[in-house]
Amino acid sequence: MLIDIKNVFKIYNEGEEREVRALNGVSLTIDRGEFVAIVGQSGSGKSTLMNLIGCLDIPTYGEYHLDGTDVTDLSDRQLSHVRNKQIGFIFQGFNLIPALSAYENVELPLIYQGIKASVRRERVRDALERVSLWDRRDHKPTEMSGGQQQRVAIARAIATHPPIILADEPTGALDSKTGIHVLEILRRLYKEGTTVILITHDNGIAATVPRVVRISDGQIVSDGQQEVDWL
Amino acid sequence: MNLKQTIKLAAKSIAARKGRTFLTMLGVIIGLAAVIILVTYAQGTTKQMMDLMKSMGTNQIQVSAYKWTGGSSDDVVFNSLYNYCKQLDDLVVGVTPNQYCWFTVQYGAKNSNNMYSDDGSVQPPQIWMGSDQWAACNNATIAAGRDLTYLDVQSGSQVCVLGSYAAKMFFNYANPIGETMLFDGVPFRVIGVYESRINEETLTEETQYYVQQDNFILLPYTTTRAFQIAGSSNVSTGNSDFIVKAKDAASRIEASARLESFLKSLIGDSSTGNSYGYYNVYSNDNYIDSTEEANRSQQMLLGGIAAISLIVGGIGIMNIMLVTVTERTREIGIRKAIGAERRSIIIQFLIEACMICGIGGILGIAVGYVGTLIVCKQTLGIILLPNAGITIGAFVISVGLGIIFGLYPAIKASGLQPVEALRAD
Repeated sequence: MLIDIKNVFKIYNEGEEREVRALNGVSLTIDRGEFVAIVGQSGSGKSTLMNLIGCLDIPTYGEYHLDGTDVTDLSDRQLSHVRNKQIGFIFQGFNLIPALSAYENVELPLIYQGIKASVRRERVRDALERVSLWDRRDHKPTEMSGGQQQRVAIARAIATHPPIILADEPTGALDSKTGIHVLEILRRLYKEGTTVILITHDNGIAATVPRVVRISDGQIVSDGQQEVDWL
Repeated sequence: MNLKQTIKLAAKSIAARKGRTFLTMLGVIIGLAAVIILVTYAQGTTKQMMDLMKSMGTNQIQVSAYKWTGGSSDDVVFNSLYNYCKQLDDLVVGVTPNQYCWFTVQYGAKNSNNMYSDDGSVQPPQIWMGSDQWAACNNATIAAGRDLTYLDVQSGSQVCVLGSYAAKMFFNYANPIGETMLFDGVPFRVIGVYESRINEETLTEETQYYVQQDNFILLPYTTTRAFQIAGSSNVSTGNSDFIVKAKDAASRIEASARLESFLKSLIGDSSTGNSYGYYNVYSNDNYIDSTEEANRSQQMLLGGIAAISLIVGGIGIMNIMLVTVTERTREIGIRKAIGAERRSIIIQFLIEACMICGIGGILGIAVGYVGTLIVCKQTLGIILLPNAGITIGAFVISVGLGIIFGLYPAIKASGLQPVEALRAD
């Protein structure tokens, strides 16, 4: 099992009157090479779950093993390494660094990995070509459309060849046509063997993903496989 | 991730934010330049004033003394003083009358009455009557020809020695030695020219102090009779102003006390009314000391103002740095999400702050130096460079402030969970 979450809680303002249980006893396992959609309304806790899976946040209670390692025991520095090597993030708001060009944004996680410049260039080129943006490599994020920015973000996520791609509402800020384009890239990654976890509130998108986990009020309410037409 | 990469990242980040970088640098530049210019200017004015005072000679004791003798002998006081000072030769370097006279001086077509410039910056030479020790007492050394000798004084030779500016006024660059000048019509032969008493570093020819310090002519005090014979009304009979030059500060205090008691016994105690004249012993050095004291406090005041401007500059830097804290917090969140360690983020921000403030600091020093040159040239008429201690001190403080305030958001934000940092907007 790649991801093994056991009885995880994320509680804000614990013990106070305004206590919020964003996750209320969630258990979930995901195998290598799966394509999973985590579906829920806003406020259901799906983003909190994604942040925990991505090691951007730590659970209040519960266990989380990522590829056999207990993530809740790791130091800040070790968590940075896990994020760097294991996970590629795609955010709803793109989260590119505005001051840097497309090329530099994609290059950044490779720099933090300590990869040689010549290898980096190959990897950046490869990643940007896969999202068809190599010719726009010198553009700043502000000089690109939303769809292009999200494709740069995807290139940044795949440049390190991570085993897991975490996509949080990747089409949320895009029109439907560019949204479909982004989803196609994710499907291709899945077919190549990457584990893809997609967080969405859109049932239409969820209908195209082989495994759907539904979450509501901080708890998993259903978890099932389904046939999809593109496979 | 190595240091070279981190430096490259920092450089990229700076290049990408030119506007903000420039504003931050401006804070450092203005703060630093202001401090350098203010402090150097204050030091310049102080030094100029002190040099001027010291050029007149330190350790001088001014003696004013007169004794009624029924008009018989003119120089009773000086002769007594002279003999007394000989006994004090372990304390005293020289003793001389220092009588100021209003003669009309002529040489060829040049006449001292025509030497007043319109703006008052140039005046005719001051004429002093003194002994062969006048030069020693007044910090003057001979540059060409010879000084007055004991014999000149004893025999009342009609010879004179010129201050360097007085020589220039009458003879321009021609050699004055051997020429004859007329003082109220009485002829005197020029036997020598004194060296300039001015410290050229701080007092240039363009400042009027220059003129005062070297614009004088010295005559033997014993030539008074020649003037009286010639019918000049510009000499007083009997000298009452003297200078005694002490070896050093300690000797000056000792000699002053002894002179005081000597004059008391010679002339009588004026406070009891049992006196045959008057006397007064005082020293310029007291004035120099108190001026030095006043200058020190003036310097402290200006230094304080400069320090405040440095702090204000630092706050400016801090503001610029903090204004972008949200932007940077989000950036730090992104960097952490894609795998940056806390350490490498802090190092990157540290290098960024060092680069911005370092370049700003160097530019600030450059502006400060140029500003100092211009300000000191325009107002003091001298070329003055800031001292290295002030420059380094101000550089360290302003650059240090910039780095501390530049680093602060990085230290704060890099400690957050990435999800919290990403939430900033």
